[in-house]
Amino acid sequence: MSVDLATKSLLHDKLRFFITVSGVAFAVTLVFVQVGLFLGLMDNASLTIDQIDADLWVTSRNTPNVDFAHTFPETYIKRVRSVPGVDRADNLIVWFMNANLPTGAVEGTEVYALEDFSRWNFPQGVVEGNLADLRRGPYMVLDDSAKKRWGHFQPGDYREVLGRRLKIIGRTVDAKSFTTTPLTFMDYRLAQSLNESDLRGNTTYILVKLAPGADAESVRAEIRKRLPYNDVFTRREWAERSRKYWIESTGLGLNMYITVFLGCLVGIVVVAQTLYTSTMEHIREFGTVKAIGGGNGEIYKILGKQATIAAVAGFALGALQAFALRPVMAKIDLKLIIPTELYVMVLFGAIALCLGAAMISFRKVATIDPALVFRT
Amino acid sequence: MSILHTKRVEKHFQEGREVVPVLRGIDFAVERGEIVSLEGPSGSGKTTFLSILGCILTPTRGEVVIEGKTVGEKSLADIRKRSLGFVFQQFNLFPSLTALENVEYALNVKGVKSKEARLEAQRVIEAVGLGDRQHFLPRELSGGQKQRVAIARALAGNSPILLADEPTANLDTQVGTQVLEMFRALAKQENRALVIVTHDPKVRTIADRVVKIQDGALV
Repeated sequence: MSVDLATKSLLHDKLRFFITVSGVAFAVTLVFVQVGLFLGLMDNASLTIDQIDADLWVTSRNTPNVDFAHTFPETYIKRVRSVPGVDRADNLIVWFMNANLPTGAVEGTEVYALEDFSRWNFPQGVVEGNLADLRRGPYMVLDDSAKKRWGHFQPGDYREVLGRRLKIIGRTVDAKSFTTTPLTFMDYRLAQSLNESDLRGNTTYILVKLAPGADAESVRAEIRKRLPYNDVFTRREWAERSRKYWIESTGLGLNMYITVFLGCLVGIVVVAQTLYTSTMEHIREFGTVKAIGGGNGEIYKILGKQATIAAVAGFALGALQAFALRPVMAKIDLKLIIPTELYVMVLFGAIALCLGAAMISFRKVATIDPALVFRT
Repeated sequence: MSILHTKRVEKHFQEGREVVPVLRGIDFAVERGEIVSLEGPSGSGKTTFLSILGCILTPTRGEVVIEGKTVGEKSLADIRKRSLGFVFQQFNLFPSLTALENVEYALNVKGVKSKEARLEAQRVIEAVGLGDRQHFLPRELSGGQKQRVAIARALAGNSPILLADEPTANLDTQVGTQVLEMFRALAKQENRALVIVTHDPKVRTIADRVVKIQDGALV
């Protein structure tokens, strides 16, 4: 194997190498945490849509996202059920309600109400109780995340929702919304009876499951024809619309892009600065490389390799830090989602960033006069 | 036939608006196996001339012919790689590479790969008497030993022309003499042309010919 001047020279000054790698690792961790948190929040924004086993969602006109629902007559469901290609359809109520806690405090909850939850495979993280029992009386199932605001609870306890005492008969985990309001699951008719002024005879969504082999577009077109004042979305469109609403209305997307940009900028500056200083300190060595017959290409290869090593090492350290942060984030109810594609993108991004930072050194090297090797 | 010769070589440098002539039409030649000491006071143009002989600078006028071929602007790096070996006053070793790797790397740059380069590097490191120090980093070597590594690097790869710039300037008298003796022996043994630019009168004792340069011209 040929002598690896690039690696040996890079590792020769370990402190400088550590500073370079730290700069990249900082940028990588920042990107992972920012994008991971963003994806985690976006996952929450469409979590219920992704979990509910519906192919189409009928909503009131211009509903911006799944949490901010508006009502329409529940009888519309008959028109939907009569459309050829519809296997089944059910009304779903999503509605914010207030709960009076034993402490005297009033806290909000986001209610999901269906006649039969099992038909829609929702919610998925039931850890205690049976959802089928919801139909038997004034009962509710609460998500664990409610403990933060509602205080400790367990099945068998009672809580007052809109002035009515409801028994907690079960518990779920990881059923979340973007609003962070805890989710409650109850029977469809019970939800209507709790808020008659808004919900009596009304629903907020119609869930549609297509018959096997049915064409989603033609079924949708037919539903639109029969419900001209409603919107109909595929599950994917509806999830995207809900996420987009939060990205645009909260400035979350812009915030993420700015932070990612700043992280990259800091990374570039640190790497460029350390590589440039290193180049300047090794200028006589590069002059020697030229004097013994090496061209600019030889030196570019050295700098390019050093930048790539710094990028890969910085990526590994940064990814490790981000990975270690996941359980810490989970403890404060923040979800850090880092998909494999993001790992690949950040790795190549880090390499591109470091090679970009090395360009400044490339420019310097191109102007090196090999005659400097004769100077004292 | 000379391995290296120059015809009416001139070099001018631009200093502000002024053109300063540094070399004024030098004719020079060196044969294979010949050792030439190039002497002159500071500012006489000897390092500039050495840079031109070493294809690091190009002359403003005149020509340099190496191994029968006229040196052109585009072929400089190639000729340095193929025909020239350098020894510098400051040694210019790579501090992160061992003695052996310093020599081996120079061979890699010249296009000699892995195993062959390692064997050749070991041969020349042994030849300069540093077989037992081959895995030492430059900071672990004395000045004389560093210069021996630099000589080994210049010898490696069979370049027919060796150019040395004040090779004894940073060495004490005794070590300087030893290094020169060794350099002479190796250059003669391997039939290399050796041009040494120096202030050091000791170099005369090993040179076949002494050439003096003053105010940019040979005297």
